[in-house]
Amino acid sequence: MPQTDLSAYLPIALMFVLVVGFSVVSLFLARLVAPRHPTPEKVEPYECGIVPLQEPVQRFPVKFYLVAMLYVIFDIEIVFLFAWAASFDDLGWYGLAAVGLFTFLLIETLVYVWRRGALDWNLPRRRRYQRAGAAAGDAERTAA
Amino acid sequence: MNGSLTFLSVAPEIALAAAVVLLLLVEVTFKPRAWAWAVVAGAGLAAGTALSAWQWVAHRGADTGTFWNGMIAVDGFAALAGLLVFPLAGLGLMSAWRLAASQGRRGAEFIALVLLAAAGAHLMAAAADFIMLFIGLEVFSLSLYVLAGFTRERVDADEASLKYFLLGAFASAVFLYGVALVFAATGSTTFYGDGGIADYLAGTVIFRPGVLLAGLALLLVGLAFKVSAAPFHVWAPDVYQGAPGGVTGFLAAAAKVAGFAALARVLTAVLGARADDWVPAVAVLAAASVVVGTLLAIVQDDVKRLLAYSSVAHAGFILTALVAGRGGVGDMWFYLATYAVQVLGAFTVAAAVSGDRAGRSPLAHWAGLGRRAPWLAAAMTLMLLAMAGIPLTAGFAGKVAVFRAAIDAGYLWLVIVAVLATVAGLFFYLRVIVAMYLASPEEGASLPASPAVGWGARFVLAVAAAATLVFGIAPWPLLEVLRDALPL
Repeated sequence: MPQTDLSAYLPIALMFVLVVGFSVVSLFLARLVAPRHPTPEKVEPYECGIVPLQEPVQRFPVKFYLVAMLYVIFDIEIVFLFAWAASFDDLGWYGLAAVGLFTFLLIETLVYVWRRGALDWNLPRRRRYQRAGAAAGDAERTAA
Repeated sequence: MNGSLTFLSVAPEIALAAAVVLLLLVEVTFKPRAWAWAVVAGAGLAAGTALSAWQWVAHRGADTGTFWNGMIAVDGFAALAGLLVFPLAGLGLMSAWRLAASQGRRGAEFIALVLLAAAGAHLMAAAADFIMLFIGLEVFSLSLYVLAGFTRERVDADEASLKYFLLGAFASAVFLYGVALVFAATGSTTFYGDGGIADYLAGTVIFRPGVLLAGLALLLVGLAFKVSAAPFHVWAPDVYQGAPGGVTGFLAAAAKVAGFAALARVLTAVLGARADDWVPAVAVLAAASVVVGTLLAIVQDDVKRLLAYSSVAHAGFILTALVAGRGGVGDMWFYLATYAVQVLGAFTVAAAVSGDRAGRSPLAHWAGLGRRAPWLAAAMTLMLLAMAGIPLTAGFAGKVAVFRAAIDAGYLWLVIVAVLATVAGLFFYLRVIVAMYLASPEEGASLPASPAVGWGARFVLAVAAAATLVFGIAPWPLLEVLRDALPL
């Protein structure tokens, strides 16, 4: 191995020192300098500036999670579509085809989860689907 | 570049993705019986294999190149990866077929995930840019994370999936940081062509290589995690033990193939000019893997866990080929291909013995298997002997090939360590064989129901046994062919 020249690491080391130093200094500085007048409202967890009425830990239906996940996926799709729309003239038909394919894949996903019952608020379709699945699975097993 | 070849360069991925889309649409539209899944998946994998075979014939030595602005490479390396990964995914599906069929309507998702993993694995091998390599890595890894926890009834499968995901995501982040540092040092994420990393490193004397070396180290760590080389192996035993039995074989085999394909291209082709820097690191990783894997396998009482530690040791043996740089790539492919089939076969037997949804496979389940299921025991014996490196099996030929490559590269100490580990490894492989043939089940022990083997699993075992024997007795033709499977 050639002789190790550690000076190339100097910027990284400096960066490291800066990062650690900055966070430590700002933490302590805030503690030293900031005025402190605690009131019951101020020590509550911050929630849009409104005093919370009840504890945040409460059960909520897991189906919100599914909707949120679908929302994120289509949210991201819109981000990509904006980039394409901004340079529509340069990309031409090729861009249209590529975005069409991309959108098709997303819609196909939507069709799949829809048919699987992900958008049903009260689960009848999902149940039906799973019952059909269980029956088919049983048929498979007896056939095997 | 030639326009028509542009799309043909990613045709295997397109075929697999189309099969996935079709499979899911057919599934929700017609709710077909399981054989319809098999038809779609088989067609996709067959198309991928055929396209890779065409790439192999047309673009093996000559007429190679990169496409999509240097994102995808068409060469013998990528073509061979396809020829290995797609049939392996097919065998993995057959091995896991009963598991998939027992999942009811979710079985289609299971199959789709295996196909996506295969597409991602091939993309990893064909990528000619770090960004594309990372996309392939994520497509591949995300599919495997889900597969590892596919059954819902067991907590340890969830645990395996979550552990795999968290540690895998961490390793991906390390890999990405390495990419960023290499980019900082070379000014490119593309491998080939003018201004690519290989070009820059070959033509430039770097006086302050600190950033480049740090990046190289992080790349090595990220990929060593994926192939479960020590000391980045800690996830492997828990994941292999917790994952449902039917899918563990595919998990283990595919992860090795994809990870080593990426590792071999990045190290030998892209960073080939810095071989003096990474070869010692790879040699140390290889030695650590064979030693740690072998020693920890000796104390295991669970066959799936034992196979996991043995796979750590095998990662070390395969790394041994890479210390020879470009000259060792063919030997690496031989070892990788034969080992992938062996490990798939071994886990297929484990799934039959302990149940294909079960996680654990304690040695007690194997007691007296030679009498209860002689064919299964015989197949397992062959796989274990091949992994141990007994002559006339492909495992022996592979070990000879990688050891010779390392000796040619001047790494005698590494070969001595590896040979000693091979000898010590005989102990734990024989321990399973002894349990199968000489031990009888304990009185009152609750064995799982008598081993059930589906037709798919039988086919997998037949292929694995045939490949192990044929390439063990006559390895030269394959070794010759694989010399052409070089990256650009």
